[in-house]
Amino acid sequence: MKIIAIYNIKGGVGKTAAAVNLSYLAAMDGARTLIWDLDPQGAASYYFRIKAKVKGGGRKLVEGKKDLDDAVKGTDYENLDLLPADFSYRDMDLLLDKTKKPTQRLRKLLKPMAYEYDFTFLDCPPSISSASESVFTAADILLVPTIPTTLSLRTYKQIKKFFKDMGFDSAKILPFFAMVDRRKQMHRLIVENPPSFMPSALNSYIPYASEVERMGVHRAPIADFAAKSRAAQCYQSMWDEVKTKLFPHHN
Amino acid sequence: MNNQHDFVVPSDQSFTELISSLATKFRVHRQAETVSYRIFYDTVDWLLSNNGCVLEMNEDEQSRRIYWRAGKDAQLKIQLGLRQAPRFASELPDCEFRSQLASIISVRELAPRIKIKIKRTPVVMLNKKEKAIVRIKLDENWFYPMKRRAGCLLSKRLWVKPVKGYAEANQQIDALMQMMDLRPAQDNMLKLALAELGSSTTQHSTKLNLMLDPDMTSEIALKEILLRLLDITQRNTAGSVQGTDIEFMHDYRVSIRKTRSALALIKHVLPKDTIKKYKKFFAGLGKLTNPVRDNDVFLVKLDNYKQKLDKNKQEQLQPLQQYLIDNRSEAQRQFIEEVKSPGYRQALKEWRAFLEDSALLDSPLENTNKPACQLANQLIWGTYQTVLLEGNAITDESPPEALHELRKSCKKLRYLIEFFQSLYPAKRVRELINALKGLQDNLGDYNDYHVHMQILKEFTEQSPNEAAVKACNKMIKALKQKQQKTRNHFAERYAAFSSHDNQNEFRELFVGSLTGDNNE
Repeated sequence: MKIIAIYNIKGGVGKTAAAVNLSYLAAMDGARTLIWDLDPQGAASYYFRIKAKVKGGGRKLVEGKKDLDDAVKGTDYENLDLLPADFSYRDMDLLLDKTKKPTQRLRKLLKPMAYEYDFTFLDCPPSISSASESVFTAADILLVPTIPTTLSLRTYKQIKKFFKDMGFDSAKILPFFAMVDRRKQMHRLIVENPPSFMPSALNSYIPYASEVERMGVHRAPIADFAAKSRAAQCYQSMWDEVKTKLFPHHN
Repeated sequence: MNNQHDFVVPSDQSFTELISSLATKFRVHRQAETVSYRIFYDTVDWLLSNNGCVLEMNEDEQSRRIYWRAGKDAQLKIQLGLRQAPRFASELPDCEFRSQLASIISVRELAPRIKIKIKRTPVVMLNKKEKAIVRIKLDENWFYPMKRRAGCLLSKRLWVKPVKGYAEANQQIDALMQMMDLRPAQDNMLKLALAELGSSTTQHSTKLNLMLDPDMTSEIALKEILLRLLDITQRNTAGSVQGTDIEFMHDYRVSIRKTRSALALIKHVLPKDTIKKYKKFFAGLGKLTNPVRDNDVFLVKLDNYKQKLDKNKQEQLQPLQQYLIDNRSEAQRQFIEEVKSPGYRQALKEWRAFLEDSALLDSPLENTNKPACQLANQLIWGTYQTVLLEGNAITDESPPEALHELRKSCKKLRYLIEFFQSLYPAKRVRELINALKGLQDNLGDYNDYHVHMQILKEFTEQSPNEAAVKACNKMIKALKQKQQKTRNHFAERYAAFSSHDNQNEFRELFVGSLTGDNNE
């Protein structure tokens, strides 16, 4: 099982949209896919028409007193299951700190799921904390949606530095540009010439598109209600590119 | 993602009807049909299969995935996003899969050996909030032997799986199971496909179950029909030679007869010389096995016939029984001699090579490139007209030969419909076949009595045993009465077959369909 975390310190950069759309595409490939909505706001759960609540509380789940599998809910799509958000995740740091080896916690919780799923997507809340460290440890790759603006690039640099300082493998980080508005000169310049500190940036990017916003109306991934839209195609290219990063040996 | 259940759906059950009946009790939503393929790879001598391993590629419009199953119960070991299956173990990156594969096949080459096409109709059961809580997949599995262009129906399956996290899902599945009364599937598709290939003797299908494509040329369609018949002939040869189960010989002969009919009826498609040569060859096999089958059937029916005689006469028939057994043995000996001859083997080898040759014929005859469905319409409609002409001409005074001719024409019609069955709506064709079958059964019984009386007459002419001859004469008298009774039923069977509704149905299917509006 490959674990793909979608992460950024900043909010509103398209993390949940990426997690929802990429996990959907993975499932449509026939891969058994799980998406874990770690954000207490529960947006990914909302998009999949599932209540953002873990029966018995998220606390027990994180503490390992309740099996992850028992909290899983099937989505409307074959091969795609969801671990719903829970309001208790707002205190994720506290929850994790109470456990032994908090940074290893998520990896340990997800280990038994490897028999059930080919991919697990982690839709992470916007923060940088010990919960983030646990995500960094568990993930095989970290997709970092980045808006092509000066401030967002600065945030990306912070993440990279944090990674390096904490001794994580920076090769895991795969940034990509999101909410790209090609009418804006700065967006165009940055996307066409990514800065040198982003050598691993994905070639595919996600445009600023009304379809992404309409996900909230349809409560579905874009490819389900606007399969031929540009945004849907962009997510597809991105997923294809992510697969080549995950499985470099496969032709 | 477990708790999945797999059930066998009867092959004549239509999925549309099945879904309609589900909709009367459950809230269901039918999703778009999909087509995917399962391609199984192995060495030419089935090393993987013989070692309990499976290497398969699943392919649909969106993706290709490789599955590797090994070990106890062939459990799934690895699923890979490879775009191509490896030809050699050495092509794989250094991993556990590579070492497992190499330990079995070493440096041997893998090739696609079996292809299964899956036409899937997904259905979801919804709860009151319109959330999917149970997934049902209705699969039609078509087996395509490699190098073949038409498949045969392997099995229809229903998969049911609860969606995780919905307590009511299992109750719904229980209710569904109670309603459907389906049999859990025992064999997986690979096992069934291997049986079709003849690698296993546990499965035995003599049905054509071909899936022809309406746009296929008549040449390809006819070759596929003949190949499938050849498979059936060859699959039944060993059993026919052994002779312990008479059904092998029956199936062997039916496949030969169908081959001869296909060659005789589907004209101007294959080269004349080839047709002439193989018509003669298969006619020889038919003639050679006639006495085996005739004696087989009579021996089976003899017990039944004897019941009509008193005990004393029954015992007197012992010489007749021996006569039949001796006749059968002699015919069987000649059959075995033929089957084991180099000439027989060579003829079938060349026949297969001709049929498998994918190169199109150089000098197309009138019908070679005609779309299969167009030719099928013409042939079926034409033969149907012949059956009606012959049938309408039969009166109470008609000689037995007239019924014999009609019987042969009915057989031709039946075979033609069966050959091209997949080009027409399944349910409607099935009903026509059933009507035809009713008439054929009557004509078949009439003919059986005729053959059995012939055998008895031959016996009486050469037997010195007076008591046995007397008993036989008595039996001939009884059979004559039975034959007459069968003849009396002919008119009603024929009337049912040639009813106005049936005639309209034939016209709609095989003349109306010339305009291409015959799809279900």
